[in-house]
Amino acid sequence: MIRTDNTKIDVSDIQGFALKGYNFPHARFLLLELLHCKDAQSFLLKLLPDITTGGKWDEKPLTTLNIAFTQQGLVKLELPLATLLSFPLEFQQGMKARRLILYDTGKNDPANWDAVWREERVHVWLAVYAQGLPALEDTCARILQIMEHTHGAKLLQAQDACSIYLNNQPTSYEHFGYRDGFGNPDFKGAERECVPGQGKLAKDGSWEALATGEFLLGYADEAGELPVAPIPHLLARNGTFMVYRKMHQNVAAFRKYLEEKGKLYSGGKEKLASKFVGRWRDGTPVELSPEGEDKSIVADDNRNTNFTYGNDLGGLRCPIGAHIRRANPRDAFGFNGQLINRRRIMRRGLPYGQYVPDGQPVNDQDERGIIFMALNASLFRQFEFVQQQWIEYGNDAHQGNDKDLLTGNHAGKSRFVVQGTVDAKNPAFICAQLPNFVELRGGDYFFMPSLTALQMIASGTVDPR
Amino acid sequence: MANESGQVYGLTILSPIIEDERLDIDHTTQLRWYLATLPRDDTSPFAKVSSTYLARLVVLDDVVFVGKPACEEHLKSRYLIFETNFDGDLDTYLRRMASEVGEFVDAVWKHCVGYPGVGNSDAFVAYMKKCQLKTTFFFADVNDRTVTDTLRALQTQSALTHFIERNQGKPPAEIQKLFGIFLERLKSAPAPLPGGRADEKSVTEGRPHD
Amino acid sequence: MTNINGKAYAMNAITPMKPWKTPLLRLFFFVLGAIKPLQADLKNLSFIHFARWVIVGRNQFPLLSDKQPREELRYDYLIFFSNFNGTWNQYIDAFSAVLSRGLNLIWRWSEKFPGSTPVTPFKGYIQRVQFDTDYYYNCYPKAATNDVKAALRVQDALNDFAKTSQSLSPVEFEKAYLEFLARVQPDLGSTGIAPVGT
Repeated sequence: MIRTDNTKIDVSDIQGFALKGYNFPHARFLLLELLHCKDAQSFLLKLLPDITTGGKWDEKPLTTLNIAFTQQGLVKLELPLATLLSFPLEFQQGMKARRLILYDTGKNDPANWDAVWREERVHVWLAVYAQGLPALEDTCARILQIMEHTHGAKLLQAQDACSIYLNNQPTSYEHFGYRDGFGNPDFKGAERECVPGQGKLAKDGSWEALATGEFLLGYADEAGELPVAPIPHLLARNGTFMVYRKMHQNVAAFRKYLEEKGKLYSGGKEKLASKFVGRWRDGTPVELSPEGEDKSIVADDNRNTNFTYGNDLGGLRCPIGAHIRRANPRDAFGFNGQLINRRRIMRRGLPYGQYVPDGQPVNDQDERGIIFMALNASLFRQFEFVQQQWIEYGNDAHQGNDKDLLTGNHAGKSRFVVQGTVDAKNPAFICAQLPNFVELRGGDYFFMPSLTALQMIASGTVDPR
Repeated sequence: MANESGQVYGLTILSPIIEDERLDIDHTTQLRWYLATLPRDDTSPFAKVSSTYLARLVVLDDVVFVGKPACEEHLKSRYLIFETNFDGDLDTYLRRMASEVGEFVDAVWKHCVGYPGVGNSDAFVAYMKKCQLKTTFFFADVNDRTVTDTLRALQTQSALTHFIERNQGKPPAEIQKLFGIFLERLKSAPAPLPGGRADEKSVTEGRPHD
Repeated sequence: MTNINGKAYAMNAITPMKPWKTPLLRLFFFVLGAIKPLQADLKNLSFIHFARWVIVGRNQFPLLSDKQPREELRYDYLIFFSNFNGTWNQYIDAFSAVLSRGLNLIWRWSEKFPGSTPVTPFKGYIQRVQFDTDYYYNCYPKAATNDVKAALRVQDALNDFAKTSQSLSPVEFEKAYLEFLARVQPDLGSTGIAPVGT
């Protein structure tokens, strides 16, 4: 059934990971290979009751469990051929095959990925989030037991991720020292309150939730139609697509670059750092506070994402090529933001590797970075587009071939312009010879089914029509 | 004038292609093969007719049948479409085609009905004008510069950005001096040639002013 | 692929129109030329170098010899040529999102046009009526129209600044150089190879 009233969605059928950020500090991503269809199905049936849904929590659970599949995983589970072929092309191909589109070349080429991703054997992503490590270990142990008992799957790799702790408290900081996690899109039917700045711009300048169909299959999207989805309808509905990218961060290289250029930049190192991203390291949006951090803005959800670029088309406050402005241009392209509304992604990332505070020596050979995960109804139209056109290229922002400073695959050629004023204390400044601050170590595209769909997959009852 | 926008002329030529049943390989196929092997970079004939911005040659096999209840119908001939956007006036452009890349023009249009050849440029211009379609609506994003102006500007943009970055932070007197040298160098630099370079697929090491 | 040269994509589309509708389209284009709202939007979208619409009436196919058979057609034809930047999907998505009214006014006279929104049937129609380019030449393959406009602004700024830059005192020069930087700074993006077509 296609819902016409999109303000109510069936939260108990949707996996919780798709509907909310759990805000648990610990996670382990179990990357599994399925061995035999029947055994895999038994395994899934046993996991089913523990899958965390989007239903409201009276009390936060100790751990959560969610699951998603690559195309190869669905092939292994022997879904009908017609169904498999009805999945979007990019999902069928998998992320590795899309490398030219995504600019996963040079340092980011699959040849440099972790073996588990390079070999394309990952069938299942099983995510366990936990409030504390003991609970995490318990749950994972239980899952591994079930795996052994059913012979349903083989563990290829367990990727741990963990919030960065500062002063013994979990935070939303990432390894370059920026507070992360702002600006996830609001969509109709999602449980939480609309936060100003996270949705789309209405004609009167207020913020509205985006259409549900931008993030969940089976609901109308921003173009006024149902997003392309696999058949049968029941398999797709309440499901979504996820991209997983293990992004290694070259913290030493970043700190060195910032130090060097910060000496030349008139505003100094921290201001330059804020220009790279469009937020100061504490999260203050540069657009609202171009001269310094402002804790009161950061703390206020009504303000920390509530801004537009319409009065700053010249980039004097937030540079035109700054990271958050590239990832979500808001009204910067005119037309009241309509060119942006179908290019939003829901991020769920978490850092991995040991955090090294600023000032202490750090080695870029260490495993350290961010597990980037994003959810959207269409990988091609949303994630791939933002990655290809707005991060690795700059034409829409009128920045030519310039790439995003923070995450772009520079290959030694890119540059970033920080717009300035006629004041000698704040002139234009160009950052060139950019090294790759981030390197891709692997990942893939996943389908995150609804609970109903999961039941169908686990019991082998998927018919193409 | 619907064919023009500012300094830019939008020329659309529709030339019927000769149908000759006696040939093993018909004119349309020969033409397509020729076009498939023609270079598209700075060795293209259009690079020589240097007032050309963007130009295309398209074989129109037939009209399209969009499906019932629309009627199905077919063209009796195939046509060569020539769509080009250039700066300047039509006569000058056509005469340049005839005199500068006559061999190419003959190689393409010899497959078309009534083509007189470039030998007599008056006849050639008359033939092209006979095949010309009037543009109903023409949009040109930039219509007030020549191709040469534009290519020079792109060269300037790249060189200037490099200059700014290399000299930022230096004392003003020094920048002023270096800027003077920069201006001289830029002025005396040869005008960039139109069209892409054959090696541009492997742009890994940037040239200083790239 | 011959539809693409550097950053430019050559799209060709042909659609049939019942002859009685053709004058309505001509009228629309005439009004468009006079009022310029669509032109403003096209310039603001800023990813078309050049585009044209050509109406070829059913009796207007060139006839150059009595050996050439005369066309006998029921429909007039609207041929559309675009030289645009970006991928095929990106281009159509953008048009469908922000220029749907203008597109409808141009193509509603063509047979079986489904409307420019929602976007999926619109893309289906374009696929049916688009035909491929055999040869495409681009004088500046590494430059999108944004790059061209930016470069021209930079050139103009440089020409202005060059007039006096060497004759100013260092103090005056510092001020003038800062003003010059502020003027050119939005337009310093690099040029290069386009993203892969999708």
